[in-house]
Amino acid sequence: MDIVNNVKASSHRIRNSIATIFGVVALAGCATNAPQDTWQPKGENAQIINNLQWIVFPMAGVVGVLVLAFAIYTFWKFTDRGQPIPSQSHGKPIVEIILTIIPALILTVVGVFTFRGIFELSNTQDTEMVINVTGQQWWWEYDYPAQSEQGITQPIISSGQLVIPVGTKVLLRETSRDVIHSYWIPALNGKKDAVPGRINLLRLQADKPGIFAGQCTEFCGLSHANMRMEAIALSKEDFAKWVANQQKAYTSPADGTLAKEGEGVFLNQCIRCHQVNGLKKADGTPAIAAPDENVYSGAAPNLTHLMSRNTFAGAKFDLLNKSCRSDVWDASPETIGQKYLAGVSESCLNATDLRAWLRNAPAMKPMYADPTKLAKSGGKYRGMPNLGLTETDIDKLVAYLLTLK
Amino acid sequence: MSTNELTLTPSESPSLSNKLTISPTQTLGAVRRPVNTTGWREWLFTVDHKKLGIMYGAVAFVFFIVGGVEALFIRLQLALPDGRILSADKYNQMFTMHATTMIFLFAMPMAAAFANYFLPLQIGARDVAFPRLNALSFWLFLSGGLILNASWFLGGAADGGWFMYAPNSGPVFSPSNGVDFWILGLQIAGIASLIGSINLIVTVLNMRAPGMTLMKMPVFTWMILVVQFLLVFSLPVITVALVLLMFQRSYGATFFDVSQGADPLLWQHLFWIFGHPEVYVLILPAFGIISEVLPTFSRKPLFGYPFVVFSGASIGLVGFGVWAHHMFASGLGPVSVAVFSMATMAIAIPTGVKIFNWLLTMWGGKIWYSAAMKFAIGLVILFTIGGLSGVTHAVAPSDTQQTDTYYIVAHFHYVLFGGMVFGLFSGFYYWWPKVFGKMLDEKLGTWNFWFMVIGMNLTFGPMHILGLQGQPRRMYVWTEARAGEGFFNLGMWNMVASIGSFILAVGVLFFIINVIKTTRNPERAPIDPWDARTLEWITASPPKVHNFDRIPVVHHLDEFFHRKYEEDEATHTMKQVATGEELVRAEEAAADADIHMPGPSYWPILLAIGVGVLGMGVIYGTPIMVFGALVVLFSSYGWVLEPSVPESIDFDTPSTDGHTKEIAPLG
Repeated sequence: MDIVNNVKASSHRIRNSIATIFGVVALAGCATNAPQDTWQPKGENAQIINNLQWIVFPMAGVVGVLVLAFAIYTFWKFTDRGQPIPSQSHGKPIVEIILTIIPALILTVVGVFTFRGIFELSNTQDTEMVINVTGQQWWWEYDYPAQSEQGITQPIISSGQLVIPVGTKVLLRETSRDVIHSYWIPALNGKKDAVPGRINLLRLQADKPGIFAGQCTEFCGLSHANMRMEAIALSKEDFAKWVANQQKAYTSPADGTLAKEGEGVFLNQCIRCHQVNGLKKADGTPAIAAPDENVYSGAAPNLTHLMSRNTFAGAKFDLLNKSCRSDVWDASPETIGQKYLAGVSESCLNATDLRAWLRNAPAMKPMYADPTKLAKSGGKYRGMPNLGLTETDIDKLVAYLLTLK
Repeated sequence: MSTNELTLTPSESPSLSNKLTISPTQTLGAVRRPVNTTGWREWLFTVDHKKLGIMYGAVAFVFFIVGGVEALFIRLQLALPDGRILSADKYNQMFTMHATTMIFLFAMPMAAAFANYFLPLQIGARDVAFPRLNALSFWLFLSGGLILNASWFLGGAADGGWFMYAPNSGPVFSPSNGVDFWILGLQIAGIASLIGSINLIVTVLNMRAPGMTLMKMPVFTWMILVVQFLLVFSLPVITVALVLLMFQRSYGATFFDVSQGADPLLWQHLFWIFGHPEVYVLILPAFGIISEVLPTFSRKPLFGYPFVVFSGASIGLVGFGVWAHHMFASGLGPVSVAVFSMATMAIAIPTGVKIFNWLLTMWGGKIWYSAAMKFAIGLVILFTIGGLSGVTHAVAPSDTQQTDTYYIVAHFHYVLFGGMVFGLFSGFYYWWPKVFGKMLDEKLGTWNFWFMVIGMNLTFGPMHILGLQGQPRRMYVWTEARAGEGFFNLGMWNMVASIGSFILAVGVLFFIINVIKTTRNPERAPIDPWDARTLEWITASPPKVHNFDRIPVVHHLDEFFHRKYEEDEATHTMKQVATGEELVRAEEAAADADIHMPGPSYWPILLAIGVGVLGMGVIYGTPIMVFGALVVLFSSYGWVLEPSVPESIDFDTPSTDGHTKEIAPLG
């Protein structure tokens, strides 16, 4: 018995030390806390993928080390040291057959696990929540259809940050309004392309509250590099609060305030593309944005609750200033919900970038927004043009936008 | 019909020289054909496969430098966060053109250079089957390459990535003419490759020396043959895709316009049905080169020759069934993904067979570490690393984390730079004395090798980490906000990669210095500097116009080696019975009596210019197109009416025994 135990123990030790060696080798050169690390799963789907990675990477590593060791030994052993030219043997078929079968067997093992993983990941039967995700140059729109189980009684339209409840199987129904984009939050799942004319499904589930970074990963033109996203997982209670806030009715700023003047500027300029639900024109009729008349993709971010998000312009810029931003990002899973739901206050606002954006958006982010170069798109913009606002207009607008909680 | 009865049929070929009455004095074409050309005309109008091979190589190397400089710009831009060297627009053009240039204007034509030069020599032929078509291939390639790069000076280059996914390649999303230049340049270069592939297939199947059965053919020739089949079957697919896109962009068609009901995935399928075989088009010639180099410098035949040949052929075959592994994130559905995932794993098996066979070729050998051998070994090691990272994304779910990140960039640069480019450099060092009669400097070659190995690993090694830690590809800037913390943050690795790229560039610089030094060195190379194994070494260096004084009769795989060595029955080692020098002298002494070679011609280059002008007409208007078409028409007539073998440059009087040595009577 002792012997058996010893063998078991030592084989265990060997296995552990191999795992440790791989861990050390793999981690030695890596960044810590890289927001888009593909080896830090934070949810079920990403975990399925990660389990497969932990099969195929060590296998590839072991094979690689063995082949390299054999190669180096061969290079050393058969160096020309004056030995005679060997007999001109053309090889042995049995060696060939063995060397074909071994990799075939290894790959069969990998294949079986892969097969299972592919079908596990494609499962959408037990979905608990649906969000429509639409890509366009160069931002994502999130459209939450009414679904009473999640407390969403009227549709919510948001952008920049995807907000989901933890422990919930969320199904993203992805499409695009112009070119192909790809939705990728590495901590939650692999990529899925957003293809115009098609709806692709991607399941996400987050285990704990937190913020997870992502990036558009299908080349989508000029500002592809600036098309980012963030997913925020909130506890179920916090998510309910978020939903309640998103469904809150619009209140116009009090008369005589700077913000009220800002509302006027908004109605004059921004409403051409950007919707604010509940906003009314001076004559009391609803103000309806018509982005399809001005923008090639036919959409611009809905700004109704802009200041409940932490980013703007395709999540390229933060709405929060540096210290307030890191306050949210570094928060523990217990406190992050409360901090996120606080939104953007005047003291936390990243006024520099927001003002620069309002002053001249194309200078901040490359876009096709030069009115003289729009012949091929029928005069429509791809991105936000320079509106030629005065500094006073910008003051007013910023004051107004701050009220869009 | 005139008095010139064109009664040529293959069955009548023995009496060819009597019936063929066309000669320069009885001009049929509109213009007299060039005869006895010298100086620059010797190059412009040549149909000699060796001259064309050298020109292919020279032009491809220039494009290698162009593509390399583009790569350095990319690395400069990405060395620091929020790089400002290039604008977003210029960066997108840069990475599009880097890939396009390296694949279509460097790798493919450089392989064509080797194939052109060495394939006829390796099979004991005097030229390719259709020498004028061969010249046309080269000039079309050059024409396509110039059109592609002209875009830099005519409003900006293509900016949609080398994969040019629809609908981002449409007129609205890419309003400059860059994509139009790209479409036309690639179509023209594609015609070049298609013509070339048919030419080489016919050459291999019909023009092998007596005794050279297919299974006695050198592996390089075998791999080139497989590649030509890949090209024949894959190029039409991309041509169709390019034509559809051309009609969309230039003539208002809506093949990829989603608002008109198009499905953008059509482009992806068409592109990758071409694009994946293309990967093997790029790597197999390099595999062929090192399958010559490794046996030569190990003094052993290739281990498992038939396995290497058949694994090459099966890589080619299975290579047509794995295209959708480039589309695992496109939303194909789990069944398709599973099938393509398994097929992709399957292709790793024949590839692994090749690696093992190369290693076992060296096992038990007598290894000479020349520069050529160092590069060949470099390929074996670096390709193995790239192959293994390839297996990690054959696992489709794992690939959905990796695709479109730097991990993929790392993977394919290990297989294409570490694999293909190292193979080509191995070929440079191995065959330089054959082509130019001079030895490249081995010491500079060693510097060349080590700078390239270190530079390449520093550049592409860190990209594994960058990708796995979430840095996507094709981004003109990266941001510190996503770079992580600690000493080994992604910013540090981006910097290392950029430094590595310049070390790599220094490595390439060593090669250029080596070439210049060698050109100036008056010393001639020995006839058989490497104690080589195959037929191209059984003739002068550089070979005469007609390649072989006497067409060799083949009895063995590695015929040349077996003429030099015999096995000692007692010790089972090889003893030398003749030197290469003696064998070449013996061939010269027994030279064939009358050798007809095809004559130079104006038409290939003129036709290629016509096609180029025609292409520019698509962008710049119908009058230019009409002019180009007229040039094409004129040169086609000239070509058809031109006799392929003028009497005036015969090497000898026509044969009298009714047995002609002419090749390619139909040009």
